[in-house]
Amino acid sequence: MTLIIDENLCTSCSECVECCPMDIIRLDENGIPYQKYNECWYCGVCEEDCPENALVIELPFLVK
Amino acid sequence: MELNTDLLIIGGGSAGTMAAIVAKEQNPDIDVLIIEKAEINRSGSIAMGMDALNIVIQPGLSTSEQYLDSVKIITEGILDYKPSLVMAERSYALLKRLESWGIHFPQNEDEEYISLQVHAKGKFLVEMDSPDLKLVLAKKVKEAKVKVLNRTIITKLLVKEGRVNGALGFNVRSGEFVVCKAKAVILANGGCARFSLPNSGYLYGTFDYPGNAGDGYALAYHAGAQLTGFEYTSCSPLIKDLNCPLLYITLTRGAEVVNALGETLDFEYLSPQFMLNELREGRGPIFIKMNHLPEERIKEIENILFTTERPIQKRFWEERGVDFREGLIELGETEYQLCGGHGFTGIVVNERAETSLKGLYAAGDVACVPFQHLTGAFVFGEIAAEEAIKYASTIKHIELDPSSLKEEEKRLQNIIDINKKGAISVQEFEYKVRRKISDYAIPPKNETKLNQMLWWIQRFRAEVSDIKISDYHELSKFEEIRFILDCAELSVRASLTRKESRWGWFHYRIDFPERDDEKWLKHVILEKNKTNGEMKVSLRDIKDRWK
Repeated sequence: MTLIIDENLCTSCSECVECCPMDIIRLDENGIPYQKYNECWYCGVCEEDCPENALVIELPFLVK
Repeated sequence: MELNTDLLIIGGGSAGTMAAIVAKEQNPDIDVLIIEKAEINRSGSIAMGMDALNIVIQPGLSTSEQYLDSVKIITEGILDYKPSLVMAERSYALLKRLESWGIHFPQNEDEEYISLQVHAKGKFLVEMDSPDLKLVLAKKVKEAKVKVLNRTIITKLLVKEGRVNGALGFNVRSGEFVVCKAKAVILANGGCARFSLPNSGYLYGTFDYPGNAGDGYALAYHAGAQLTGFEYTSCSPLIKDLNCPLLYITLTRGAEVVNALGETLDFEYLSPQFMLNELREGRGPIFIKMNHLPEERIKEIENILFTTERPIQKRFWEERGVDFREGLIELGETEYQLCGGHGFTGIVVNERAETSLKGLYAAGDVACVPFQHLTGAFVFGEIAAEEAIKYASTIKHIELDPSSLKEEEKRLQNIIDINKKGAISVQEFEYKVRRKISDYAIPPKNETKLNQMLWWIQRFRAEVSDIKISDYHELSKFEEIRFILDCAELSVRASLTRKESRWGWFHYRIDFPERDDEKWLKHVILEKNKTNGEMKVSLRDIKDRWK
């Protein structure tokens, strides 16, 4: 289960890190968001609030 | 970090934001602080909005009496009528308040709100078209100049001279210890969504927001407040594997439920228990069928499901290759949860949102106002604020006891320190705890089974020191496991006490299979024994209308 990021669109603004209700997203050394903790509720807030539409959630394998 | 406030609200979801806004409305000079575990713009159970206000008594269309009759049927008489009555009476004003804030309630051509019947006795459910509900509430909170502290988990309520006078916790990112002194505290931090294990096996694939780990139940219990309804372990038939809701949205628009034999289920009003029974009796899988609906109806359903509350459904169905025009939607049983909004598990409150502990109020899923749904969270948010403000204006701060602050800070530091050698990941530990809850704490129940759970709870509490904690995020998960274990004990002790079966499957005791109104038309009350620290169970009479 991962976040799929369009690196051409992502501006490393951190909005996804700040809005996530489970607080599981962080930026890597290149400023690209990744899912640090395996606790996604697939609420979709990060997709919705990303100002660049640069992010898509992949559903957990156990669920999809 | 040391904070000082007149009113502390723990949890910034539906109930907590409403409480904060109303508190400032009542008295703009009062100091109000929300401490939120996530981030207030998108926190709680309504992060992506909600499609309906489940209980609205509209003048000329339904009455509070009809609502009380309906909720009495669902609770099978285990209901103090006053809180539910007050909620019903204030529900229309609440709708009007939300509407004045820009929340959209669609109307038909006769300018009536679109109302649907899901209860036994009346049309109480009003459609709401509001994917941005939480953003609106968060904005109102900021405009009202309420202080907000995000990413902070509360781990302990402070009590002195029989009064709640503050709370302790830490920032889940930095680990900074937070001390907050308050004249009054409102608990608004949800139910316990992470109770039994979802059938998908995915820990966080729960129906309700998994940040709700029973924090409020555990905090209130250890502070000395009374709790009730913990034997009511409930689940719902929702989208199998995904555990996202769609029942009301589809069935109130003409969809049908069919079983494995192709039979259409016939029910008088929406009964999740009736549907789940098909699964238990071997007539599953069960499905929602919509292929008989006109295209415009299907589009309307898709529009709600794919924009509000859990829009991820769109991708789920695309990946599974299911189109509502042809395909069937398989329903599965969710995990079991403890909740004051969808059930009646919670902190005991009266019609003024007061708990049994001075200075402590509760609103939303953390409080027992049976089947209050979103309406109850908002109305009791309002009430809790009104009452807490009145109370806070009459008293002075009680100084915090430095030794209890130090003790809690040291306890948290020790978990990180001593567990460096620990070998079990926090997730693996939680998996096992919830696996055992699935094995022993949910129906069908019997005394031996429930006692097995008590044995496991003791063992888990001894084993938590083996958990490997490497950062403060994991420390917050450790604390949540502690809350889940407390909820499991509350539930098992309540289930052991109620020696009868009630609420269909949800408290089905194989060793006491009959409902016994003569003996058991009572509340099972749980609280911490102040002398020995053990869990005390007692029975209390129902506060019925006629008594």
